[in-house]
Amino acid sequence: MNAQQPVTIIMIEDDEGHARLIEKNIRRAGVNNEIIPFTSGSAAMDFLFGPDKTGNVSKGKALLVLLDLNLPDMTGIDILGKIKQNEHLKRSPVVVLTTTDDATEIQRCYDLGCNVYITKPVDYESFANAIRQLGLFFTVIQVPPTN
Amino acid sequence: MLKRLPVFGQTTLLAIGFAIVLLVSITEFYISDRFNDATASVSHTIEVQKKISNLLLTIRRSESAQRGFILTDRPIYLQDYQDSVADIRPNFDELRMLVSDSARQEANLDEAEPLLQSKLNELGETIQLATGGQRDKASDIVKAGAGQRRMESLRGIFERMLAVEANLLDERSHDANRLQLTLLVLGLLALGLLMTIGALSVFLFRRTLMQRERARAALEEGYANLEGIVAERTSDLREANDEMQRFAYIVSHDLRSPLVNIMGFTAELEALRDDAFQKIAALQVQANSPPSDADEQIAKDFDEAIGFIKTSIGKMDRLIHAILRISREGRRELNAELVDMDTLLGTISDSLAHQAEERDATVEVAKLPPVMSDKLALEQIFSNLIDNALKYLRKGEPGRIEVRSRQTNTHVIFEVQDNGRGIAPEDYQRVFDLFRRAGVQDRPGEGIGLAHVRALVRRLGGTMSLSSEIGKGSVFSVTLPRRWTSEKERNAA
Repeated sequence: MNAQQPVTIIMIEDDEGHARLIEKNIRRAGVNNEIIPFTSGSAAMDFLFGPDKTGNVSKGKALLVLLDLNLPDMTGIDILGKIKQNEHLKRSPVVVLTTTDDATEIQRCYDLGCNVYITKPVDYESFANAIRQLGLFFTVIQVPPTN
Repeated sequence: MLKRLPVFGQTTLLAIGFAIVLLVSITEFYISDRFNDATASVSHTIEVQKKISNLLLTIRRSESAQRGFILTDRPIYLQDYQDSVADIRPNFDELRMLVSDSARQEANLDEAEPLLQSKLNELGETIQLATGGQRDKASDIVKAGAGQRRMESLRGIFERMLAVEANLLDERSHDANRLQLTLLVLGLLALGLLMTIGALSVFLFRRTLMQRERARAALEEGYANLEGIVAERTSDLREANDEMQRFAYIVSHDLRSPLVNIMGFTAELEALRDDAFQKIAALQVQANSPPSDADEQIAKDFDEAIGFIKTSIGKMDRLIHAILRISREGRRELNAELVDMDTLLGTISDSLAHQAEERDATVEVAKLPPVMSDKLALEQIFSNLIDNALKYLRKGEPGRIEVRSRQTNTHVIFEVQDNGRGIAPEDYQRVFDLFRRAGVQDRPGEGIGLAHVRALVRRLGGTMSLSSEIGKGSVFSVTLPRRWTSEKERNAA
């Protein structure tokens, strides 16, 4: 990622196995950026928005969010909505990577400002392939720092 | 039976009522005729009585006029005498005519006639004497009292006659009264009877009406209940079905997640295995110890374990995929449109042409009627059936698959016939079950095709049947309504 500032990938994924596989496959695509994994929505929210919930903590950082919609404590849709409504975080790209392929769900995510929506392929080969391509995509994407 | 009885009763009552009216009319007619007769007799008797009294009076008048003339010699008495005597004979004759119906009265008159005659003679004689100047002689005759006696006798006879008539009058009036009473009683009786019958009919009619009303109300309530029950059950079933669909979707969906991990880390293990064995080989070269049989066995065991894991995962993945597909299909909204079946089957057989050629098979499609149905579902149904037919042909026998149709007023029956290996009768049901297959398992498949086809046919309001013979071939029949309406359209209607 050729930003002035190294981009941090925030990975919100409750399945640790998936998280690990995603990380491995992204690395295989040659992405060396820092990946911070979260297995619950609230932990990720705390990190992104800080204790005062304003998002000031993320000010000036270059972030890319990799988001699963099915989380145990809250829905990814809520997190997406909050990120896109926050003045500091709204320009950070959000990649929804989830098992749901429901058309209305996909529409809703894009309506809320999601940048990329990827359905996790059912079989592992396609899954690994998709993540590697996503990793390649990450190497070319421009991420603006938050303000 | 119970409900018929009032109807029968009413008819009978009506007949009885009419019979009574008829009977009463006839009787009254007869009785009133007799009453008229009786009344006529009564007036006749009164007439006779009047005549008798009149006659007696006239005789007495002539007698007193005779006496007056003899005593006074005044011509006014003579005139009076002459007027009265002139009336006697006609009166007597009239009376005789009136009593001609009674022998007894006639006998009385016969008895009275000579007396009357001699009385008249006596009167005539004395008057002649008196007018001839012999008034004393006439007076003597009167004084002798013979005329007086005759008069007494005559009066006796006439009084007897009057008594007879009075008796008759009594009798006849009594008769007339009795008849009148009978008429009255009969009339009242008939009125009473008719009123009773009327009341009874009204009661029966009302009872029937009420029974009918109750029956109708009960029927209506039954219908309403039935509709309610059907609607309730339908909605229950729909809910249960929806829940099943959601359940299947969620289960298959959630099962996929861990499966991705199993697959992913199995792949990672394989990669690790290669790394590990390369490392071992390098170490062996370093330690200058050649690979032993035991080392090779370890590698084999490792590969075998990984192989089993991978095939099992593959199978599980396909099953989950199948459940997901079926549940997704079940959730898809079907839409009715006019489908040209010739074009549809043409497209399917074209897309399977390559496969058919590979298996030395021909697909022949007869002229088919269009149907109002969901196009995508029909495509899936027939491509599945033809695909199956191609899949299970007999080895060494050129395949021949035919698609044809029959029609009824409301439905079209499509038949897909093959000359393949056939299905045993005990497996007819089984082939339609999810994840079940029949016959030699030499073809890839999860056993979902026919289950899926049958589910679709049912959703399109149709039925499926199968007839087959092992070693000869199978015929799958799909019966579809000519005009199917989607649930949405039905709800809107």
